[in-house]
Amino acid sequence: MSSHENITVYPEQAQKNAEFIKERKESGKQLRVQRTTKQARITHGTVAISCILLAISGLFVFVPPLTKAVGPDVVFVMRMVHRVVGLIFCLVPIISLIMAPKGALHILKKNLVKWDHDDVMWMKLFLPYLFTCKWLHMPDASETKSGQRVSDGMIILVAILMGVTGLVLTANVVGIITLGITSHAVWLFLHDLGFFAICVLGMAHILLGGGIIGPYRGMHRVMFGDGSLSEGEAMYHWAHWVRKLHKEGSDELYWADAKTTKRIED
Amino acid sequence: MTEKAMLFDTARCTACKGCQVACKCWNNLPSGDGGCADSMDFKGVYQNPADINGTTRLIMTFNEFEAPESQKRMGWAFGRRSCQHCTDAGCVQICPAGALFRDEETGMITHDANKCVGCQYCSTACPYDVPRYDKLAGRPDPVINKCYGCVDRIHNGMAPACVTTCQPGALQFGDRDEMIRLAHEAVDRLQAKGFTDACVYGEEEMGGLHVIQVLKYGIEDHGQVANPKKSVLNTVHDYTAPVVGGIAGLVFLGLAGMTALSAGAEKHDQVIYNPETTDTLDMNTGAVLKHGDGQGTKSFKQYMSQVPIFKKWGEDDHE
Amino acid sequence: MTTHWADMQNADVILNIGSNSAENHPVSSKWLNKAHEKGAIWIVVDPRYTRTAEMADIYCPIRSGTDIAFYGGLYNYMIENLIEPGLYEYMTTGKMDKYNFEYLINYTNASYILEKDYEFDPETGLFSGWDPETETYNSHSWHYETDHEEPWDTSAGGAYAWAVKDGVPQFEKPVLTVPKMDKTLTNPRCVYQVFKQHYSRYTMEKVCEVCGMDIEDLRTVYAAWCTSCAPGKAGAILYALGQTQHTYGAQNTRAMSVLQLLSGNVGVPGGGVCALRGEPNVQGATDMGMLVNEQPAYLKWANTTDRDSLAHWLESQTYSDGYYTNKPKFMVSALKEWYGDNATVKNDYGYDWWPKVPSHDGSDWTEMSSFEKMKDGTIQGYFAWGMNPCHSAPNSSNVRRSMAHLDWNVVVDQVITETASFWDAPDMDATQIGTTCYFLPCALIYEKPGTILNSGRWMQWRYQAVEPWDEAKPDYEICDLLWREICRLYAEEGGANPDPILKMKWDYYLDGKIDPRPVSWALNGYRVKSSDWKSGFESGANGALAAGNVDLLAGYSELGADGSTACGMWIYSGFYANSAAPLDPAQQAIGRRNNKDTSGLGLYSDWAFAWPNNRRIIYNRASADMQGQPWAPDKALVKWDKKAKKWLSGYDNGLDIPDFAASKTLADGTVQAIEPNNKAFFMLWEQNGRLESYGMVDGPLPEHYEPFETPLSENLLNGRLNSPCFLGRPSADGNKELGTMFSLESTRRGSADEFPIVATTYSVTEHWQTGGQTRACPALVEAFPGDMIEMSPELAAEKGIGNGDKVRVWNKRASVVVTAVVTKRVRPLTVNGKTQHLVGMTHHYSWGKLYGNTLQGAVNDLTPNVGDPNSQTPEYKAFLVNIEKA
Repeated sequence: MSSHENITVYPEQAQKNAEFIKERKESGKQLRVQRTTKQARITHGTVAISCILLAISGLFVFVPPLTKAVGPDVVFVMRMVHRVVGLIFCLVPIISLIMAPKGALHILKKNLVKWDHDDVMWMKLFLPYLFTCKWLHMPDASETKSGQRVSDGMIILVAILMGVTGLVLTANVVGIITLGITSHAVWLFLHDLGFFAICVLGMAHILLGGGIIGPYRGMHRVMFGDGSLSEGEAMYHWAHWVRKLHKEGSDELYWADAKTTKRIED
Repeated sequence: MTEKAMLFDTARCTACKGCQVACKCWNNLPSGDGGCADSMDFKGVYQNPADINGTTRLIMTFNEFEAPESQKRMGWAFGRRSCQHCTDAGCVQICPAGALFRDEETGMITHDANKCVGCQYCSTACPYDVPRYDKLAGRPDPVINKCYGCVDRIHNGMAPACVTTCQPGALQFGDRDEMIRLAHEAVDRLQAKGFTDACVYGEEEMGGLHVIQVLKYGIEDHGQVANPKKSVLNTVHDYTAPVVGGIAGLVFLGLAGMTALSAGAEKHDQVIYNPETTDTLDMNTGAVLKHGDGQGTKSFKQYMSQVPIFKKWGEDDHE
Repeated sequence: MTTHWADMQNADVILNIGSNSAENHPVSSKWLNKAHEKGAIWIVVDPRYTRTAEMADIYCPIRSGTDIAFYGGLYNYMIENLIEPGLYEYMTTGKMDKYNFEYLINYTNASYILEKDYEFDPETGLFSGWDPETETYNSHSWHYETDHEEPWDTSAGGAYAWAVKDGVPQFEKPVLTVPKMDKTLTNPRCVYQVFKQHYSRYTMEKVCEVCGMDIEDLRTVYAAWCTSCAPGKAGAILYALGQTQHTYGAQNTRAMSVLQLLSGNVGVPGGGVCALRGEPNVQGATDMGMLVNEQPAYLKWANTTDRDSLAHWLESQTYSDGYYTNKPKFMVSALKEWYGDNATVKNDYGYDWWPKVPSHDGSDWTEMSSFEKMKDGTIQGYFAWGMNPCHSAPNSSNVRRSMAHLDWNVVVDQVITETASFWDAPDMDATQIGTTCYFLPCALIYEKPGTILNSGRWMQWRYQAVEPWDEAKPDYEICDLLWREICRLYAEEGGANPDPILKMKWDYYLDGKIDPRPVSWALNGYRVKSSDWKSGFESGANGALAAGNVDLLAGYSELGADGSTACGMWIYSGFYANSAAPLDPAQQAIGRRNNKDTSGLGLYSDWAFAWPNNRRIIYNRASADMQGQPWAPDKALVKWDKKAKKWLSGYDNGLDIPDFAASKTLADGTVQAIEPNNKAFFMLWEQNGRLESYGMVDGPLPEHYEPFETPLSENLLNGRLNSPCFLGRPSADGNKELGTMFSLESTRRGSADEFPIVATTYSVTEHWQTGGQTRACPALVEAFPGDMIEMSPELAAEKGIGNGDKVRVWNKRASVVVTAVVTKRVRPLTVNGKTQHLVGMTHHYSWGKLYGNTLQGAVNDLTPNVGDPNSQTPEYKAFLVNIEKA
C-alpha cells in the first residue's frame, strides 16, 4: 500500500475504480469482515482471563517475597483459585474442540500453511516494525500473518504444557498420584519454564492482539467485540486473505452501515 | 552456641524404636487413625510405619541380609530415617514462604508450619526424601512436617527428645566437631573389628549434615544415600523467578516504547478492494495501491526506506 | 542379679542365653556397649537371631529347652581343655594363667566329699534318693560327708550368746557339721570328681545332637567363653525368662550359677549371674515375697510340716554357720512388725496367726494351680492385683473358663484387662456366668510416691509426678480402704478367725492418711521401745515429725531376736535410716543422687541404695585371692591391707562394701578385722559356692531333660525323657496325678507326630507383657502393631506361607491366628540327625478391648500349664505346635 510501488494504471481501469469509489461513498455502506465466531471468542476470552488469573495466583507461590508478605491464608486462597481456574483453563478449550472440531482443524491448518515470499519478508520485518509501525507498511498477509502463526503455535503449545504439568502437580499434591522427588522436580521445572514463556508470549499477544500498539488499535473487537473489522483494517493486516474472501464470495464479508458499522440485512 | 549435631552410631543401636516413640510423644504426633491409618496393621515386618509420613518424623529401618563369610552368617542393619539437617539445605533454599529455615545457632533445619503454604517444593529439593505433609495441623491444606531438631529443647539446654530417650547411647548430642571426633573413633573401632565398610556419614555430605552417622555395614545397608546431591533443577528453579520477572519486565518496557512510537500512525480503514479490477484502492485519494493479489516485489531495504530515517536505503536499492 | 547394670561395662565376655537384653532390657545395652567397645567378646545363644544377636560378635542357635545340655557340654569342655591340663601344674607350682584354680579349690565346694550313697544312673536318668511311690527325691545322699561337728557357743561372750537372751524364742540350736574335704581334688567322691564324671557324657557332638547347632559354632562359643576363666578376667551371663520358664527352670538357673563358679566369675567386677528383671519393679516384687513359699525378704512362710511352729521354723531355717545364723533376728523382727505389741515371746510373736501352707500332702497352692482350684470350688473369690492371668497364665483359655466358676472377681489395674473382662472373651457366654466382677482403678507409677527397685537391687525413691486419674487410687490406699472395711465388719458382725486380722499392726498413717513413708520405716526397721507409733504421726518442718517418733535402725546388723526391734524387710534395712528427717526421702540413703564414680568400675555407691547394706556386687570377697588381693589390680572391689591388717573398702576408697565377714565385734565391744579366709559365700552355711547342691527338689546337679512337649521320643543324654518331678506331670496311667493338682485340660500333651514344630514365646522391645500399659499408648502400638510368629523361610516355603500372611497355630490346647514374619533370623536346626523347625511367638495382644490389633484368643492359650517344681514357674518357652496358612 505504499506509494513507493510503481503501479501502472490504465485509464479504463482508473475510470472503473473512480466509479467504484464514488458508488461506495454514496451508498453510506461499508464492507466488513467477520473474522471470528462467537464460540471462538468465548473460548478465547475464558482462556485468556483464566490465564491472567493463573499467572497472578501462581505468583503467590512463585515469588517468595510475595508469599511471605501475604501469609499462608491468602496463599491458600490463591492456591485454591489457581486450582479451580486451572481446571477451567484446561477444560474450556477441550469442550470447545469437542463442540467444533472443524474450527479447531481450521486453526490447525491455517497455522501450518506453507510460507510464501510475503510471509518470509513479513517475518524479517517484524522486529523493526515493532518500533516503526508508524511508517513501515508490511507485506500483504494471508489469514494469519507468519509471525502470528509462530506466536499462536507457541501459545497453544505452552498452554498445553502448563495444563498438563499443572494437572500432574495437583494430582501429586492432593495424593492421587505419587511422584518421586526427581520426577516432581522435573514437572515443577517444566511448569516454571511454561510460566516463563507465557509471560513473554502473553505480554506480546496482549499488546499486539489486544490492539494497544498503534496500527493494531481497535483490533480487540476481533476477539472481545463482535468479531468483525472493516475491510480496510482487514486489508491492512491480511490483504491476501481479504482478496481471497472477495474471490470466493465468502459470506464472511458483509455490508454494514458505514457510520454505525451495523450489519445491513439484504 | 557452637554448631551442634546429633550422632547416630549404628553399632550401638539396638533398634528399640525408643527414639521413634519419644519423637511422637514429645511432638504430640498421633498414630494410626489420627495419623497414618494403615500403620496400625502388622505387616510382618519390624519396620513400622513403613516410611516416615505426615505424623511420623523418625523411623528405625531394618535390613536383613546374608553374610556367608561371618560367623553369624547374616547381618541385620538398623538405620535411622529422618531429617539430616544439611548445611547446604535445598529445602530452605527453595521454600517460597520462609517456612523452612536454619536455626543459625545450632545449624538445625527447623520449620514453622504456620508459614507453610503447602506447595511441597521442599520435597523436591531434599536428596533424602524427608519432607512430609500433615493434614492435621489445623491448617486447611497439608503442611510441612519433619524433624526440626528439637531446637526448642536445645535452646533450653536439653538434647533432642530422641537422644534423651536412647538407652544404648546410640544417639548422642553435642558440638558438631565433637560428634565427628567420636564418630571417627567409633569407625576406627569397627574397622579394627573387621567391619571394613564402616564409615562416617554426614561430615561432608550436603555441605555437612547435623546428623553424623556411624554406619557399621556401610552406606547402603543402613538405608543411607551415597553422594547425595542437591538437584540441579532446584538451583535452576531458584533463578527462574527473577529471570522470568526480568525478561517479562523488559518485554513490557519494549512494548510500552513501541506503543509510544506508534502514536499517530495512519488510519487505514479507507482501503477498499475492487473485485472487478482486482485493484486495492485508497478511498480518499483514489490511488491504486496494488493490482491483483501477487506477492510483494520490494526488497527488505526498500521496505525499510519507508521509515524516514532509513529513506536513503531505498534510493540505493533500485531494481 | 549378683551384680548391677553399670557393672556390665567391666565384662570381658558377655553371654546372652535365655535373654534378649537389647530388646527387653534396653538399659543393659548402655553398659554392654561400653564393655563391647573396650574389647569384650559378646556371645548370643538363642533359638533365633534377635536384636541382641545383631549387637553380638558370635551367634549360636539352640533348640528351645536344651540349655542344660549346652551348659553340661561347656563344663565338660572346660574340664577337658582348661582344668585337667592345668590342674597338676597348679597343684605343684601354683601357676595359673588360663584358669583360676585358686577360686575353684577355695571358694567352691569342689573339694567337698559327698555322702557314700550319692549316685546318678544314666540308664534311668535318676539320682540317688528317688522314691517312685511319691515321685520325689530324698536329698540325704546329696549331702557332704561330715568330718566333725561344732555346736554353737551360746555362753556369755560366745558368738551366739544372743540366741539365749531373754525374749528370744526357744529353739534347738543348729550344729555345724564340718564337711570332709580333699583339696587335691583327687578323691573320687569329692564334688569335682563326681562333677567331672557326671558331665563326661556331655560331649560336643552329643550337645549338638540335642541342641541342634553346628559343632563349629558351639566350639567357637565354648572357646570364647573360656577366655573369661583366666584370673582377672570376667564373664557375665545375662539371663531372663528364657531360662526360668521351663519344667527345669530352676535347674537352668543353677546351671548358670555352677558355670559362673566354675569360671571364677561370681563376685568379680564384670562377672556374675545377671538375672534381668522386668521394668515394673519385678525385683522389688520378688523381694517382697508375693509367693506361696516366701514372705518378704526371702523368709519362708509357715507350713504344716517343718515350719508348723516358730521353734520348728527357727530350727529348720537357721543355718549353722554363715550369715543366715542370724535368721532368728530377721524372723522375730518381722513378726514384731506384723503384729506389733500383740507379738510377744509368750505367743511366739504371733507366729500362729500366720496362715500355714499345706505341705503335708504334696499339694500345690501356687498361681499355677489357682485356676484348677477355682474349678473344684476351693477358691471362690479372686483378687487379680496388677496381674492379668487371662492373658499371661499358661493355657489362658483354661484360666478364663476357670474364672467363670468364681463367686466374685476383683481386678485392680489401670485398664480393663482380659482378666477384668474374662466373661467377654470370644469363646465365653456371659449369660452363663454368675461371677460378680469388680474393677478398682489404680494409680500408675507416676501418680503415687514410693520405692522402686531395679535388677541390680538398687532402690530409689520415686516421687509423685501427677495426681491419679479420675477415681484411681494408689494400691496402698485401696488396701487401706479394704482393711478398714474388713475390720469394721469383724467388729460389727464378727466372723471366722478374727485374730490374724484384728491383731495385725496396720498404722501406717501420717496426718491421718495412709502414707508410704511410715511403711518405709517399717521395712527399714526401728527400735520398738524408743519409737512411738501409738499416738499417730504428724508432719513437722524439714522432714521431721511434729508428733510421734520413730527410732530407725542403721542396718540389719542392729536387729535383735528378742523383740526389741521390728523390721518388715531385713534385706532393705539401712535404706531409710535417718531418724532426724523421717519424712524426707531425699535425706535418706534411698534418696542419694551423687553420680560421681570413685571406683572407676561404675559402682556409684553414693547413688541411691543397693540392698543388702549398699553392696553393689555381692559375694565380692571372691573378687580377691586367698590373701585378699584383687585378681585384677585395676578391678578391685575390696582389698586386704597387709600392713594395716585390715580390709580396705567403701566409697571413699573407691571400693565396694564387703559382702563377707570383714570384722567382728568382741565381747568387750572392740572391733577386730578378720584376716582373709576362704569364706567367700557367707550366705551359705559352708560359705563356699555350691557346684553340687542338695537344695533343689529335682536333683543335685543340673541334668538335661526334655521339655514337657518335645520333638524327641527319648532323651539323648539319659534314660528319662522329662524332669522326674516337674509340676503338672501326669501319672503313668495318664489320669490322676501324683502329688500334683491339675486337671488334664490345661496340660493336654501333643505328640511330635501331630505337632512337629518346636515353639517358644517371647516379648518385643516395643511392648510390655500383656500390654496393659503399652497397648494403651498409640505410638507403641504403631511401633509394633500385632503379635507375630517368626519362622524360617524353609518352613514358610514348606507350608506355603508368605511374609505378613495370617497363620493358624494350634496344638492340643488351643488354636490362635497370628501374623507371619518369615525371616532368615530363624534357622532350621539338626536335632538327632533330623531337620527340626522352630517358631517363636510374641504374646502382647489379645481379645481384650485395648488399643491395637486383637486376636481371637491369646498366644498363651497354647502354652501348657506345667512348670518347675522348685519355683513353680510355668513352661512358656518350649512346647509343640503345628501351623498352616489361615
